[in-house]
Amino acid sequence: MTTISTEVLVIGGGATGAGVAWDAALRGFDVVLVDRADLAEGTSGRFHGLLHSGGRYVVKDPVAADECVAENAILRRVVPDCIEDTGGLFVTTPEDDPAYGDQFLEGCRRAGLPAEEIDVADALRREPRVNPGIKRAFTVPDASIDVWKTVWSLARGAAQHGARVLTYHSVIDLHKDGDAVTGARVRNEISGEELDIEAGFTLNASGAWAAQIVKMAGIEGIGVIPGKGIMIAMNHRLVNTVINRCTIPADGDILVPIRTVSVIGTTDVRETDPDQLPVTQAEVDQMLADGDRLVPGFREARALRVWAGVRPLWQDDRSGEQVADTRDVSRTHAVVDHSARDGTRGLLTMSGGKVTTLRLMAQDLVDAMCKQKGEERPCRTADVRPPGNADGELYSLGERLRRREDRQQQEQLICECELIGRSKLEETMRRRGTQNLDDIRRSLRLGMGPCQGGFCIYRATGILHGLDRLDGEQATASLTSFLEERWKGMWPILYGDQLRQARLDDWIFQGLLGVQHLPGGNGDAPAGERVEAPGEEAVA
Amino acid sequence: MKPDVVVVGAGLAGLSAAVRLAEAGASVRVLAKGVGSTHLSAGTVDVLGYDADGKRVDRPLEALDGLPAEHPYGLVGRAGVSAAIDWFKGRIAAGPRAPYAYAGDAEQNILLPTAVGAVAPSAVVPETMASGDLRGGGRICVVGFRALKDFFPALVADNLSRGADGVRARGVELDLRPEGRVDPNALAYARAFDHGGFRAEVVAQLVARLAEDERVAFPAVLGLASPHEVWAELEQRFSRPVFEIPTLPPSVPGIRIYQTLGQLLNRAGGRVVVNNIITGAERSGGRVTALRARVGLREVTFEPEWVVLATGGFSAGGLALDSSWVAREVALDLPVGGAPAPGEERFRSAYFGGQPMDRVGVVTDREQRPVGEDGGRMLENVLVAGATLAGAVPWREKSGDGIALATGFRAAELIAASAAGRVSDVATAGA
Repeated sequence: MTTISTEVLVIGGGATGAGVAWDAALRGFDVVLVDRADLAEGTSGRFHGLLHSGGRYVVKDPVAADECVAENAILRRVVPDCIEDTGGLFVTTPEDDPAYGDQFLEGCRRAGLPAEEIDVADALRREPRVNPGIKRAFTVPDASIDVWKTVWSLARGAAQHGARVLTYHSVIDLHKDGDAVTGARVRNEISGEELDIEAGFTLNASGAWAAQIVKMAGIEGIGVIPGKGIMIAMNHRLVNTVINRCTIPADGDILVPIRTVSVIGTTDVRETDPDQLPVTQAEVDQMLADGDRLVPGFREARALRVWAGVRPLWQDDRSGEQVADTRDVSRTHAVVDHSARDGTRGLLTMSGGKVTTLRLMAQDLVDAMCKQKGEERPCRTADVRPPGNADGELYSLGERLRRREDRQQQEQLICECELIGRSKLEETMRRRGTQNLDDIRRSLRLGMGPCQGGFCIYRATGILHGLDRLDGEQATASLTSFLEERWKGMWPILYGDQLRQARLDDWIFQGLLGVQHLPGGNGDAPAGERVEAPGEEAVA
Repeated sequence: MKPDVVVVGAGLAGLSAAVRLAEAGASVRVLAKGVGSTHLSAGTVDVLGYDADGKRVDRPLEALDGLPAEHPYGLVGRAGVSAAIDWFKGRIAAGPRAPYAYAGDAEQNILLPTAVGAVAPSAVVPETMASGDLRGGGRICVVGFRALKDFFPALVADNLSRGADGVRARGVELDLRPEGRVDPNALAYARAFDHGGFRAEVVAQLVARLAEDERVAFPAVLGLASPHEVWAELEQRFSRPVFEIPTLPPSVPGIRIYQTLGQLLNRAGGRVVVNNIITGAERSGGRVTALRARVGLREVTFEPEWVVLATGGFSAGGLALDSSWVAREVALDLPVGGAPAPGEERFRSAYFGGQPMDRVGVVTDREQRPVGEDGGRMLENVLVAGATLAGAVPWREKSGDGIALATGFRAAELIAASAAGRVSDVATAGA
C-alpha cells in the first residue's frame, strides 16, 4: 500500500471542500483533497444556481442574511467569471400578504442589503412573463453562479499552490493515534487500489455525509439531516432576473435564470439517507403549479430535467436541538470542534452552510484549524482570484456564442445545443483523463441542452474511444451509464416537447443503434427490477 | 380543395398510402408538417426484430402470430405484411433511382451492423446494405471519415469483433472532406459520392490498404441521387462486397425512400406539401367533412372523401402528452388508448425496460377506423396508419418501418376497395 503525507487532508470536493483546499493552500499549507466521486457531484452540483443577496433570510434568519450580503459582494470580486449579474426581484404574488413586504424592507435595512421597492408596472416591464397580479416588487442584488466552474476554479487554484486533488477516492477509514485523527485510508474507486494518507489535520467538508465520516473516528450522535430539495430546469430563460416570492420561505418560490435555462426550486423534505433521494410525480406536479404562480404558463414550457439535492442541515444530539421542519434549521454554518465536543484532536467538521457563503465557511474552518495548531496565517481568499477569473468580468449570456462564432467555419461542432467544438472536447478528455462521459458533462455541459445528449453522446463515445481512453467494452459501459443517468433526471418530467425529444432519443439509441444489444449493454435487464434513486442530477 | 384523399403525414406510412392510391387513379394530397421520419430511420424495412420478451427474432413473419392481439400487425396479418413488402420493393425498383432496389423478405431476418457496432436483425434492406449480413462472420474493414461526426469506424469495428460471431473487423479513417468543409454531415458526403471525382479519391486512398478477404463497410452515404451506380462502382473497383451501415440522422437511405416515393407520387399526379399543420376538422354524420390546415400565414380548407392519418407517434408530434399528463392525438384530437390514467405511474426510473406510456396510440377497428372508448367506430372516412396506432413499441421491437408500410399500404387498399364497393373482401383477405 502506498502512503502519502500532508499537512491538511480535506474530505469532500464540493463547494465547501474546494473552498477549504484553496484557502488552506493559499495560506501555504500542504493540502490533499479527496472526494468519493467527481468535484461538485453531490450537493453543490445539484442546487438552483442562486447567489443569494440575503433577501431570502432577512426576516427569519438575520445571521444568514448578514453573511450573504457580505459574501455576495466578495464572490462577485474574486470569481467574477462564474457569476452572471442577473439581479433579483422579490414579488408579492396575489396569494402573499403584502404586509410581509414591510418586514422584508426593514430586514434588508438592518442587514445593509440594498433593496428597493419599485412600481409593479416597472417590474413587469423588466420581466413581462411574471404574474401580472403581483402587488409589490423589490429589487435586490441576487445573481446566478455556475457552481461547477467555481469549484473547478478553486480546485485548480489550490493545485497551483501545491494541493493534490484526488477525485474518485472514497474515505474508507480514519486513522487514529490515541485521541488524535492522523489521516485516512482511501480507496481509488476506479482502480480499486487503497492508499493511506497521513495528515497533520483532517478537515471534514463532506456536507450531508459528515456524520458518516466522523463515525469512522468513533464519533456518534451527530445528526446531519438530509433536507431534500427538488429543482426543475426549464428550457428557456423564462425570466432574466432571479424571481423570489416575497413571503416566508416556502416551496417552489425561487426561479433562477442561469446560462440558457431557468431553474425553479425548491422543496424541503426530511430524508434519512443522503444517497436515496427519490423524486415523486406529486413533487413534480407541485413544482409546476408553483412555477405557474410566479410565471403564468410556466408549465407549458419545456421541462428539461429534474433533480434533487440534499442540504446538510445540522442537528446535534449533544446540544439537545430538535427541529421538526427542516426549513427551521438555520442556514448558517458552524465549525464543529471535535476536541471540545468529543475529545478527538486533529479533526474539524463544517456543518450547514450554502454555496453563497462557501468562502466564509472555508475561512472559518481553516481559521479554527490554525487556532488549534497555534499558528497565525491570515486568510487571503477575499482578495485573491482563483484561475479562470483573471479578466474580472462578470459572465454574460451569449458570451459563449460570441467566442464560438469566431471559429464557426474552422471546427466540427460536437454538441450543437451547448456549442462544444471537437478540440475543446478532446482537450478536456485528455486533461481530465476520464473514462466517464458524465465527468465530461460536468466540465463542459456536454449533453445538457434540450436534446439531453441525443446526438452528442454517441459522438463523444466515439471520440473517447478513438483517443484510446476506452476499449469497446468500456465505451459501452460509459454510454449505457450515461443514458441511464440521463433518464433519471428526465422520466418524472416527460411531457410536451421533452417527451417528443426522449422518444426521438429512444429511436436513435434503442432502435437505430441498438445500444441495449451490445455485448455488455443493459438491454436484457428485466423491466422494473433495478430500483435506483431517480432525479439525482445536476443541470445548471 | 376537394381531393379524393388527404393523407396527413409524409413518413413511410403516409407516402405508401398516397402512392398506392394515386397510382390507382385517386387524386391525392399529402399534407405534412415537415419531412417524414424517414430522415431519422435506418432506411431498412424491419418487420420484427425482437419479440415481446425481448428475444431476437429470426423469422419475423412467423413471429407475428406470437404478438399480443392489440398489436398493429394484428390489423394486417402475415399476408398483408407480405403484400405490402412486395409492393414496396416493386415500386422502389421501378422508381427514379432504378436499378437501386431492396433485397430480402419478411420470411427471414438478416443481421446488420449498427453505427455503434451492435448486431441488428433486419428484414428488407437496400441492396447497398445487403452484403453487410453478419451471419457467417468474416473480416470487415469499416471505413469512416474523420470529418463525419456521426459515424466512428473504430468503435463499430471494436464492438463487432467483440459481439458478432466469427467477425473480425478493423476501422480505417479517411481524411476526405466534401468541398473542404469542416463539419459536413451524412447528406454532404452522400452528395459528394454522387460525383466520380470524390469516389476516385476514396478508392485511391483505400484500395491498397485492404486485406485479401475483407469486405468493406462505409457509413450509409454512398450517393443520394445514384446510390446503385456509386455502390456498384465501388464493388467493382475494390473487387469485393461493399456495404453501407446506417448513420445517425440525417439518414441518407431514408431520404432516398422519401424522395423516391415522393417522385412516384408526383408521376401519378399527387403532391406532398410540407409546412401544413392541421388546425381543425369538421365532422358530420360520423365523417370528417373538412380539414383545415395552416400553411404559413394562410389557412386552407380541404374537403376530401377520405383521410389517412399517418402523423406518427410522440416523436413525430402525432401524439402529445400535456403537463397535466393527458395524452391525445394531435391533428384530429382523437382519443388514445393504452395510456395510464392521471395519477398512475407514467414512466419508470430504469431506462432500459418497458415504460407504462410505451404503447399509447389511437385504437382502431379492423378496418383501421378510430374507435371511441366504447369500442365503436368514430369516423367512417378516416383510416389510421403507422406509429400513430396503439399497441407497439417499435423502437424496441424494430417493427416501426414494417408497421408503417403494412398499415399505410392496407389503408390504401381498404380505401381503393371501398371505392369499388368491395371493402369487406379486402379487409378479410388482409386479416
